[in-house]
Amino acid sequence: MTEAAADAHDGHGQDDIHGHGDDHHGGPDHHPHVLPYKTYFLVWSALLVLTVVTVGVSYVDFGGANLVIALVVATIKASLVGAIFMHLKYETKFYTVVFVSSLVFVSIFIGITGLDYLQRGRADHVRHDRVMNMLHPFDPAPPKAAPKPAAHHHE
Amino acid sequence: MSADAHAASPAVDDEGRPLSPQYHVAHHFDNADHQFQANKLGIWLFLAQEIMFFSGLFCAFILFRAKYYDAFVEAHHHLDKVMGGINTIVLICSSLTMALGVRAAQTNKRKLGVAMLVMTFLFAATFLVIKYFEYHHKFHDGLLPGRHFTAEGFVHPEANIFFGIYFVMTGVHGVHVIVGMALILWITVKMYRGRFSSRYYAPVEGVGLYWHLVDLIWIYLFPLLYLIG
Repeated sequence: MTEAAADAHDGHGQDDIHGHGDDHHGGPDHHPHVLPYKTYFLVWSALLVLTVVTVGVSYVDFGGANLVIALVVATIKASLVGAIFMHLKYETKFYTVVFVSSLVFVSIFIGITGLDYLQRGRADHVRHDRVMNMLHPFDPAPPKAAPKPAAHHHE
Repeated sequence: MSADAHAASPAVDDEGRPLSPQYHVAHHFDNADHQFQANKLGIWLFLAQEIMFFSGLFCAFILFRAKYYDAFVEAHHHLDKVMGGINTIVLICSSLTMALGVRAAQTNKRKLGVAMLVMTFLFAATFLVIKYFEYHHKFHDGLLPGRHFTAEGFVHPEANIFFGIYFVMTGVHGVHVIVGMALILWITVKMYRGRFSSRYYAPVEGVGLYWHLVDLIWIYLFPLLYLIG
């Protein structure tokens, strides 16, 4: 924040009892960053319009795009709530880092769980032919016809 | 902005009350902003934890939907889009009144703040009443999770998985709404007693952030459960 903006914001130069000459940050008293009513009502209207849009779109069949549209609209709504109602846009960026980092971990969690769960059973058709030897997992699979596995591969 | 920022400067609010007379900066903080930001960081870390807590449920939804896509599409037609949509609007309105409640605290408007918080509380109660009617309807139709699923006529037997996830996700979200209502009640009483002002409103801000997160989660729950299935 520039010095001029800080002055305008804090009301310095007015009859101000909160310590003249103090910067916005580091003053003896907390001075909130107040947003105009207009901002709140604009976000509220946008959220209502987007809700109507997402419900309306759900009545039309776009195939797989329906999911994408719904998630994009939800993400726009969530960003508006986060940036304005939760003041992320106007605060130190560290809160945004905390917020976004949680989303990063969520995507790792869901992504890797999906990699496992959605691939289940893919190895079933080869599993019976190639039973893994848990004691020597890197040994070649024993040939089916030979009951005694050859030991010479250790050499 | 500047008009209200100036209004925040006097040492008394619009009713002539002193601003948060019991407020002080704890000795381990450099200054008021330092204390405020530390407080807020704690709230944000809690919210990050909440997101990860809900992500387990979203993970279950996404994976089961991928596995039983047809069953999920069939089952989601039994949810009431209109009631879900109205509840979405109710929560968005409650988020607005909560944000305005925080703003009222920032600008020393005690009565407006109490009014906004009471409205937020009433919106939250409306949300739960509508949710009650939705649940009641599901109970009546036997659309319950697991072995309690008694509804008939489903093409896909896995439809009961959808209702299991639906009840857990909306149920856990509903618990958050109830907790939020208790928190809103707490800050409403404190606001009424004149504890909050532009100098000190961290609890209002914190409860507000929590409440917006509850709204945020519903913003994703609604399209995923009601609209897409």
